[in-house]
Amino acid sequence: MRKPPYEITLKPYGQALLELARQRPEIVCLGADLTRQTETDIFRDALPGRFINAGMAEANMIGIAGGLARAGHVVFVNTFGVFCTRRCFDQVAMSIAYPALNVKIVGFMPGLSSPGGPSHQAIEDVALMRALPNMTVVEPADAVEVRQAVAAIADRPGPVYMRLKRGETPIIFDDDHRLDLNRAQVLTSGERCDICLLAAGMMLPAALAAAGVLESRGLHVRVMNVPVIKPLDAATILAATRHSRLVITAENHSIIGALGSAVAEVLAEAGLAVPLRRIGIADVFAESGSREYLFHRYGLGTQNILNAAWRGLELEGPVPAAPVVESVPGAYAPV
Amino acid sequence: MVGQQHATYDLRRLAAQIRLSATRMVAIQGFGYLGQALSSAEIFGVLFGGGLVRPGRDRFVLAPGHYVIALYAVAAAVGLLEPRELESYGKDGALLEAIGTERTPLVDLVCGSLGQGLSGAIGFALAAHLAGEERDIYAFLSDGEMQEGQTWEAAMFAAHNCHRMGRLVVVVDANSSQVDGPVPSVLPIEPLADKWRAFGWRALEVDGHDVDALSAALASRSDHSQPLVVIARTEIFGRMKSMPAGVDGHFIKLDPALERALIAELEAALA
Repeated sequence: MRKPPYEITLKPYGQALLELARQRPEIVCLGADLTRQTETDIFRDALPGRFINAGMAEANMIGIAGGLARAGHVVFVNTFGVFCTRRCFDQVAMSIAYPALNVKIVGFMPGLSSPGGPSHQAIEDVALMRALPNMTVVEPADAVEVRQAVAAIADRPGPVYMRLKRGETPIIFDDDHRLDLNRAQVLTSGERCDICLLAAGMMLPAALAAAGVLESRGLHVRVMNVPVIKPLDAATILAATRHSRLVITAENHSIIGALGSAVAEVLAEAGLAVPLRRIGIADVFAESGSREYLFHRYGLGTQNILNAAWRGLELEGPVPAAPVVESVPGAYAPV
Repeated sequence: MVGQQHATYDLRRLAAQIRLSATRMVAIQGFGYLGQALSSAEIFGVLFGGGLVRPGRDRFVLAPGHYVIALYAVAAAVGLLEPRELESYGKDGALLEAIGTERTPLVDLVCGSLGQGLSGAIGFALAAHLAGEERDIYAFLSDGEMQEGQTWEAAMFAAHNCHRMGRLVVVVDANSSQVDGPVPSVLPIEPLADKWRAFGWRALEVDGHDVDALSAALASRSDHSQPLVVIARTEIFGRMKSMPAGVDGHFIKLDPALERALIAELEAALA
């Protein structure tokens, strides 16, 4: 694994989708007036016959996607996360999820990564999509995973929702990292585990940073990357948490309905009595602002994970401070 | 609505002032929704500086929240907002956010998710009718959101229920610009006036940069048998000579040279 500040790359999704579509003629690409913003301008320019701009009309676009999929296409639908989940939820449910069609809905600007305020911040998209039968829900953590996720979700039969950071995408994993849609990954492991820290998507850098601080204070921390929130890899999660003193989930999403909730369900149904702390947006709508500002203000920073760990284990003394990673242009630093 | 301003203004100068303030606000971060203010400056000037929207009495709905920059600019010009507040536009923690939210001052409803504003305006109209209140309801819409089906659900409802709509006036900034490019290149919406007429509305089309034509159209009273929509034909950069061709109209990157050129042109217009 690489170290922060992480190198960044541009349009890993758009490039991977185009490469796959060149090999797979059944793939078509739909958008709703956000072509460059969803990295699909390169698809549009290279394969214009298989690119369809539905305009600013998401409900219609989802219905069109259903028709294309019934006719045998693998359909990638691209817009901001808010507009392909909350805006047209019934259409996604009835036109895509219920008939279990091969439509891959890709929602950009997850959680508080959008400066555009509540209208543009997808804080409950995972909860909505996770509640739909037949739906797979994926959130890659970095560009290495994004590149692999495109082919992986195309190969997975049925509907998929994938949420993706827009714009500069960090490279966290080494090139030999393998994304498996059936597995959560334990990234740091030892025999002992005081804290099991499960992160999804944009919260992985903060989880790794927090783990580094806690390890330096003599605690044993197991960090898990959970790129598939549904179906959740319960076996790996139970194995990793069974002998932990504390479990912390970290997600760029409301604490209701997504990773934290899904992990809580697994732990409770298995009868594990381990305490759980959920790092996420605390059931509030946020506001406009930069990622750094919003992550601090709404409790998505490395410090918030450290606070939860310290208080969750009832440790003595002041909570250690999160490392300050200089924000370098052209690089990605955890908040 | 805050304030109680009723004065009328030199509307051409007011439009230039709106553009100048918006340019300075976008210059703070070097990017933002400037095209929206440049195209709609006369519309906002006429609504708030021409004695149409009566703050405290009428309702104002801003459907596309990206246009809130123009509202801030006109509000500062007509005394509804402290001018130095504009300096905080778009900054972390500021009240004046780049896309309108529930915190946004000066509006009764602002939507950042497009296509929902007219429905809310109809709700205000019904409420005024139920309460027996004499209020005018103004709804500002953008042409791109005509692509959202909800716009037409609302249009159909308003015409059918026009006896309960009071004086509902919709103004559409038809600048033919959306994120992916000119509206006709993405998904054409024309013939716009005929579409509204087919949905039961009285539709007027005017040059949206002509303050006299806008004023006359927006003030025109009908017999309440039909709601009124004014389609204001505008250009995304408001006919500013300094704006080079090929700039992204939805979200402008404003480099220092372009900023200086725009400000010089607008200051000359105001001199």
